[in-house]
Amino acid sequence: MKFLNRKMLLSAMAGVLAVSLAACGSSGNNKNDTSSPAASPNASESPKASQSGGSNEKVTITFQNIYPDPTDPKYNMLRKIVAQYEADHPNVKIELDSLNTDQQKLKLKTQAASKEVPDITIVNPAAQMKPFVDADLFAPLNEMVEKNGLKGTFQEGILDYYSFDGNLYALPDGNNIALIYYNKKMFEEAGAKVPTTFEELVDTVKQLKSKGMTPIAIGEKDSWTGSFLFMNVLLRTNGGPGFLQDVLDGKKTFEDPAFVEAVDAFQNLVQAGAFQEGATSFDYNAGENLFKTGKAAMYFMGSWATGGIETSTVGENGEVGVFKFPTVGGKGNPDEFMLAPGSAFAVSKNSKHLEETLDFLNYFMLNYPKEAFAVKGAVGVAQNIDEDFKAAGYSDMAMEVLGMFKDVKGGDLAFDNTMNPGTAQVHLSSIQNLFVAKKDSAEVGKEHQKGYEENKE
Amino acid sequence: MKVLKVSGWTIAAFVLPCLFLYVCLVFAPIIVSVYNGMLDWNGIGQSKFVGLANFEKMFTNDSLFWPAVGRTFLLAGFSMLIQLPVALFVAILISRFVRRTGFLVSSYFLPVILSVAVIGQLWKTIYNPAPMGGMINQILINLGLDSWTHSWLTEPKIAIYAIIVVALWQYLGYHILIQFTGIQNIPADIYEAAKIDGASGFKADRYITLPLIVPIFKISVVLSFIGSLQSFDLIMVMTGGGPANATNVLASYMYNMSFLSMKYGYGSAIASFLVVVCLAATVVINLLFNRLDKRFS
Repeated sequence: MKFLNRKMLLSAMAGVLAVSLAACGSSGNNKNDTSSPAASPNASESPKASQSGGSNEKVTITFQNIYPDPTDPKYNMLRKIVAQYEADHPNVKIELDSLNTDQQKLKLKTQAASKEVPDITIVNPAAQMKPFVDADLFAPLNEMVEKNGLKGTFQEGILDYYSFDGNLYALPDGNNIALIYYNKKMFEEAGAKVPTTFEELVDTVKQLKSKGMTPIAIGEKDSWTGSFLFMNVLLRTNGGPGFLQDVLDGKKTFEDPAFVEAVDAFQNLVQAGAFQEGATSFDYNAGENLFKTGKAAMYFMGSWATGGIETSTVGENGEVGVFKFPTVGGKGNPDEFMLAPGSAFAVSKNSKHLEETLDFLNYFMLNYPKEAFAVKGAVGVAQNIDEDFKAAGYSDMAMEVLGMFKDVKGGDLAFDNTMNPGTAQVHLSSIQNLFVAKKDSAEVGKEHQKGYEENKE
Repeated sequence: MKVLKVSGWTIAAFVLPCLFLYVCLVFAPIIVSVYNGMLDWNGIGQSKFVGLANFEKMFTNDSLFWPAVGRTFLLAGFSMLIQLPVALFVAILISRFVRRTGFLVSSYFLPVILSVAVIGQLWKTIYNPAPMGGMINQILINLGLDSWTHSWLTEPKIAIYAIIVVALWQYLGYHILIQFTGIQNIPADIYEAAKIDGASGFKADRYITLPLIVPIFKISVVLSFIGSLQSFDLIMVMTGGGPANATNVLASYMYNMSFLSMKYGYGSAIASFLVVVCLAATVVINLLFNRLDKRFS
């Protein structure tokens, strides 16, 4: 009896020990590159199964995406394509992990730290995706994009933003430009005109303000929104694109007159009361909703917002117009835009079902433009669409935006797509600070330069 | 051992699993963070060992670090000096004057079980500017105190206090519950004896309740102090550390550094500092209370 007890205890302990050791193992994680989720016991069988392509092995693909908002046309479109694919491939299940942009960025970084990237995830172009590519987390898409002529559907040059050392690592959902949406009805009530210069814009702001309206809506808790607007001012005061690149190349510093002038102009706008009170506590969606519900007269955003605005209250009433970001101090060309090559779909290199995932993404991207077109979300898609937008019932506003794309004569990428994350954070919080406090513009330049030098690699 | 009449094996069987888990889930990560704190690492790519450079930069050359430390202790200080005394006072009042205590104590406790996201959103709405329906500002305007209105969460000087108020409000009920239970456990005959000796009402509280509640109060102090040092979720929901770092505390600063600036090594250095501060605080509080205990016993 005693012996039995002891034996039982021992085996129980051994079990407990194994469990605790396993816990230790997974918390120790990350530094050794060999450890990856793919190193599971059945890893030896799965290649065989996936070689046969459409085998009957049950496959679950995790699809992390940034379309969590059911009022956004893309939300339903995503689900529709997924449902179609699942119907054609009964053995494949696509699991959606829908998050808003900032949450997704953070989640992916946390996942990347433990090398547990979802099968398909979202990355941002250029500088923002570089750390992930450097860490060798993504599968090259060079071969996949050639299949079914997928590559040919993309606009020329757009894939360059997602290519490193000749390898393509992600496929963009959009190619957007920044512009200002405005509420025609509110402009009319306030007797305001569409501004053609930045100085007029400041006057318009004051005019709207004097009528008790919120002139410009912004979601500055997500600090990239303010930075995006600021960078457009800089694009003008610099007399053209390439300021940040010049800084990176050592040709200019942030103390350059063009930068200081941009800060000055931006502060003029803020000090004129352009943005809603408490702007820094509004997140992206809350800020955009102010405009969508007719509580703010203008909204500066990338053209990706067009679909959502079109289907919103003000959009359906046909009250929304658009204009290009005006010249600042007589400088710059309104046909140069803040360019926003969209967030893009990347595939995890360690995906357990790499083959199926690539096949699905290929299918998804081939259908994407068609389905986006159908739900009126095709403004700013990165792929060529040879359809008649007007006949398909796109609004005048959407047609105006589409027209703007034809005028694009170059431009700049957003700050955090050009500079490394450390510098970008210094910039983002420095600009956010301008919303709540008046600063000496030269100081702001110095702060940027210091942050840039400290974070230089 | 012999006294317990169980074999060493049995004791080991009961102790070891927990010990293993504890080591794995508490000590291993701490050691890993200290090590990570010595790396120049973005969290996903190659890392470089840089010794104590991160710590050196943190202590001597980081204009955001010390203000974040300051705010962390500000929060801890407020919860020590305001939240706990108020909780104790309310607990005494409840046990003295209320017959059916269940309802009141539960109501005070309610915010504790609400999710922080809900509380954050709720208070964000309360703090909103008047045109957006902010309750506080509308009340102020209706009282004719227009000049007192503020954009509570976005003015750099005020924002952190606005958050502190919410943090204190949320956990008040928690400490009331702890201390109320403590008071309930004081034997009634002591009060009766005191009554005979002529000490009743608040005099009895001064000489009986306060000394006897010290051990329970200590738990409250440790919990609230450590909780304040680690406060994070509420700040993330309400301001994200903004505007321009004006509401960053240690934990949110660590998070922003690790995941937004992608300086995982530097973030780990901050985390290590936070651990040390928490341990030090626990030791100091224990020492202080041991002295108090001795004085009363």
